[in-house]
Amino acid sequence: MKKNKSGQEEMVGFALIVIIVAVIILIFVGFSIKKPQKEPIESYEVESFIQSFLQHTSDCKDKIEYLSVQKLMIGCFDNEKCEEDGRETCEVLNATLTGILNEGWKVGEGGLTRGYLLEVSSGVKKIVSIQEGNVTKNYKGAMQPLGRNDIQIEFTAYY
Amino acid sequence: MKTAQMKIQQMAFMLIAVTLFFVLVLMFFLVVKFAGLKETASELEEKNAMLLVSKLANSPEFSCGNSFGKNKINCVDADKIMMLKENIEKYKDFWGASNIEVKKIYPKTKNARTCELGNYPDCDSIRVYSKEISGFDASNFIILCRKETSEGETYDKCEVAKMMVSYS
Repeated sequence: MKKNKSGQEEMVGFALIVIIVAVIILIFVGFSIKKPQKEPIESYEVESFIQSFLQHTSDCKDKIEYLSVQKLMIGCFDNEKCEEDGRETCEVLNATLTGILNEGWKVGEGGLTRGYLLEVSSGVKKIVSIQEGNVTKNYKGAMQPLGRNDIQIEFTAYY
Repeated sequence: MKTAQMKIQQMAFMLIAVTLFFVLVLMFFLVVKFAGLKETASELEEKNAMLLVSKLANSPEFSCGNSFGKNKINCVDADKIMMLKENIEKYKDFWGASNIEVKKIYPKTKNARTCELGNYPDCDSIRVYSKEISGFDASNFIILCRKETSEGETYDKCEVAKMMVSYS
């Protein structure tokens, strides 16, 4: 009879352990298949942003037309000036990009973007470098080669 | 306690234990199966949102086509959507969206105004359906182009904008 009682106790103990383990695993499974939260910034947004600002028409005119940001970058690399008012293309490029970035990626002000970094370079030569806000561990970035003079555009948004 | 009772009790415990064991195995299987689900889901969500806005931006009703140089990606013809806005009744359920809005990012006008035929192009946002953005929405950066005149010459004016599509 004493042997039987000891067996019963063992079984109850085993059942309890199994139940506890099952509950822990259930909680774990619940967390792992929970609906994923939407990322505040998507990588396609960063890629599309670069594509968009490259085609933006600036107020700098050469002999033929108003220059796009893409053409301003090439003009800045070649140290060219705007035909109409003699402004440096680099100056216009900087002002245009700063304006677009300020409006497109609001840092702070209750927004999700903590900061951003835009760099336009050709090899070791930096054409433009604009940084705002803080650099964090969470970021989305994209790189786009311009296909001329080895100009590369890198944009990273931190959130 | 009788031996028979004891045996029944043992069997009952054994059955519970075996059932729990199989439940655990099933759970383990589920965890392994759904391990990559979160990443796949967010990747798909991202892709869908991008496709949704890009599909609209590059559709014949919105896209620049060849009007502003070579085929541009994510380029929306502002003049075209102003006309579309005026005839939106014909496109009521065409895209299945509850609202489509194109908001100019840079440069901003002094008073942020919704575009109407009377104030265009001196305005900031074009509401295709004339409603507020509500419900599930997806947005993406686009380039908003129109024909502008300066000193008697016509040129292409393209500005950075954001296209927002909402589904309720």
